[in-house]
Amino acid sequence: MKWRAGYVAPAVLLVAALLYAPFLWTGYLSFTRYDGLAPAQFAGLGNFAELVQDPALLTSIRNTLIWVAGTMILPVGLGLLVAVLSYDLKRGAWYRLPFMLPYALSGAGLGMVWSPILSHGGIANLLLGVDTAFLQEAPHNTLAMLLVWTWQQLGVNTLLFVVGLQSIPKEPIEAARLDGAGGWSLFRHVIWPLMAPLTAVVVGLALVASLKTFDIVWVMTQGGPGRSSETLAVTMYRDTFVASEYGYGSAVAVLLTVVTGLASYLYLKRQVT
Amino acid sequence: MIRSVVATLGVAILLTSCGTAAEAPKKTELSLYNDKGAWSKYFEDMGALSKQKIGLGVKPVGHTDSAQYQALIKAAFRTDTKPDLFTWQTGGMLQEIVKQKQVADTTAIWQEAIKNGDLPQDLAPYYTFDGKQYCVPLNVAYWGMFYNKKTFDQYGLRPPTTWDELIQVADTLKRNNVKAFYHTSVLFSFVWFEQMLAGTDPDLYDRLSTGKAKYTDPGVVQVMERWKSMIDAGYFVNPGDKTDPADSLKNGKSAMVSFGTWFNTSMTQRSLKAGTDYGFFVIPNINASLPKTSVIFESGPLCSLTGAPDADASMKYLKWWTTPEAQEKWATTRGDVSANPKVAIADQALGQITKDAGSGKYRLVNRYFEATPPPILTAALDGFGLFVTKPAEYQKVLQDIQKAADEYWSTHQ
Repeated sequence: MKWRAGYVAPAVLLVAALLYAPFLWTGYLSFTRYDGLAPAQFAGLGNFAELVQDPALLTSIRNTLIWVAGTMILPVGLGLLVAVLSYDLKRGAWYRLPFMLPYALSGAGLGMVWSPILSHGGIANLLLGVDTAFLQEAPHNTLAMLLVWTWQQLGVNTLLFVVGLQSIPKEPIEAARLDGAGGWSLFRHVIWPLMAPLTAVVVGLALVASLKTFDIVWVMTQGGPGRSSETLAVTMYRDTFVASEYGYGSAVAVLLTVVTGLASYLYLKRQVT
Repeated sequence: MIRSVVATLGVAILLTSCGTAAEAPKKTELSLYNDKGAWSKYFEDMGALSKQKIGLGVKPVGHTDSAQYQALIKAAFRTDTKPDLFTWQTGGMLQEIVKQKQVADTTAIWQEAIKNGDLPQDLAPYYTFDGKQYCVPLNVAYWGMFYNKKTFDQYGLRPPTTWDELIQVADTLKRNNVKAFYHTSVLFSFVWFEQMLAGTDPDLYDRLSTGKAKYTDPGVVQVMERWKSMIDAGYFVNPGDKTDPADSLKNGKSAMVSFGTWFNTSMTQRSLKAGTDYGFFVIPNINASLPKTSVIFESGPLCSLTGAPDADASMKYLKWWTTPEAQEKWATTRGDVSANPKVAIADQALGQITKDAGSGKYRLVNRYFEATPPPILTAALDGFGLFVTKPAEYQKVLQDIQKAADEYWSTHQ
C-alpha cells in the first residue's frame, strides 16, 4: 500500500503548493493592510468592516446578481429550449452547430471580438442605425455583456441538455404518450423530472461561472465607466492589483469564495434532498 | 549508504553556493522589463547598439497591462529572479519602492551626466529622494495637442494661441460635424482635468497634488464645470469609442488629441508625416493672465534593483543610456524628444517645445499620473471615467476623489 502513497504524493504536494497555500495566504492577507511592498500590518476585521460600507461593493454585488440571474435565464434557459426543440429532429446536430461554434473562443477573445462591435460608433450602432453607447451606461453595459456571454455559452448548455435528453429511457415517455400526455405536459411532468440529475450539473456549473465572471468584463469595460460594471471578481482584481490594496482585495476574494461556496452548497443540497 | 549520499550532496551544495558567492555572474545581455510592449522593437534596436558600444545587449520583456506589470515587479523584489533593468513611474510609485530600499542609487551617474550636460539639473528633482537620485530618465515628454492638419486646412483653421481661439476652432469644427477633441473613459480619463486645471491655476494644481487643497474647492469645481460645458457643447468624441486615438486622429474622427510627445511614436508607426498629415501645438492657458503657459511634463524612469543579478553591468548600462550616443538613437527611432539636451530633435514642433521648455518659457507641471499619490489616482481615474460619460455627476465625482484624498493624507502628511 505504501507505494501508492508515493505515486500520489507529487500530485498532492503540487495541489497543496499551488492551490491550498495561496488560498490560505489570501485568507491571511484579508486580515492585513498590505501594499505588496512594505510588510503586511495586521488589521483584524478592518478590511471587512470597510467592505460592508463600500458603495462600490454594492454595485459589484448588484451586477454579480444580474450575471447570476441572467445566466440562468439566457444561456441555461435558452440552451434548454434549443435542446428540447432540436434533440429529436433529423439532422438536429446541424441546427445546433452554429450555437456551438462561439464556444471555441476564450472569455478574453470574446471580449476582444465584441468590444468594437458594441462600442459607441461601433458595428452594432452602424447596423442598427442607432447612436447608443451600449457599454457606457449601467446596468445596460452589464446586460450587453450578458448577451455576449449568452452568444458564447448557449451552445455548450444546449449540448449538455441534448445529452441529457438522449439518455432518458424511451419507455416512460412512450407510456406517458399512450396515456395522452404531450407537448408542455409531457415535458413538465415526465421529461423534466428525468433530466433532473443533468440539470443540476448544468445549473451548478453556470451558477459558479456567473459568480466568478471576470474576463469578459475586464476586457470589454474594465469594470467601468466609474466602476459601474464591476462584478465581485473584477472588484477583487481591481482592489488587489490596480489599487495595490492586497489586503482589501483579499477580503473581497474571501467574500467571493464564501458566496460561491455557500450558493453552490445550498443549491446542491436542495438538489440532493 | 544513505548517510554518505546525503553528506556528498551537502558538500556539493555548499561548494556550489560558495562558488556562486565568489564568482558573481558577469552578464553580456540584460533583461529589460517594461510595460511598454509596443516599444519592443525600439528596445531591441537599443540593445543592438549597446552590444556594439559597451558589450551589453538587451532582451526586452514587454508587458501591456500596467497593473499586472507592477504586480510582477513587486513580486520580483521578493524572489531570486530579478530583472536587470526595469521601467517604472516617477512620483509616488518611485517613492514607495525607494522607501523599501529596492532601487539602486544612481547619484554618481546623475552627477556626472549633469556635469557633462547630458542631463538637465531641472530633471533631477523627479528622481531625487532624501538627496539621492534613483534610476535615470527612460524618456521625457511634454504634453500638447496633436491635430489633423488636413482637417484644419479643409476648414481654414490655424493652431490657436489663446484659449478663446481654441474654442473658436472647436466651434468651427462642430458646425462642420467634426468632433474637435478626443477623450476616453479608460486610463487617460485625467488628461483634460490636468490640462484645464494647470491652465487655470497651476498653483492650485500643485496644492491639490500635495494635499494642501481639496477636490471640492471652488477652483477645482469651476474647472469641472467648464469641462462639463465643453462636453455638453458636443466638442468631444464619445468616450466609449474604442478607436485607438492615433487612428482617431489619422482618420479625422477627432481633429485634435491631447497627449505627450511620445504620441509622436504612434504617428511614426502609422507613416504619418509631421507638418503634412499632422501638427502639434502647445495648449494655451485658460487664464490668460498667468505669466507663463502651463505645459504638462512627464518623465518615466529606467531603473535597476539594489540586488540586481549583475549590479555593475546594470549601472554601466544606465550610465550609457544617458549619453548622446544612446539618446540620439532612442529619440530618433521613436520620433520623440530626449532627456539629453544635446540631442537634436528631428521633428520641428517637438524640437521647438523642447528648446522652449529648456529656456524656461513654460511653467512645467508634473503630469497628474505621477503627481498624484497612487490611492488617490486610482479613485480619480475611476471618477473621471464616470464623469466623461455622465458629466452631470461632477460634484459626486469630486466628493468621491476627495474622500480617497482625505483617507490618504490623514496618514501621509
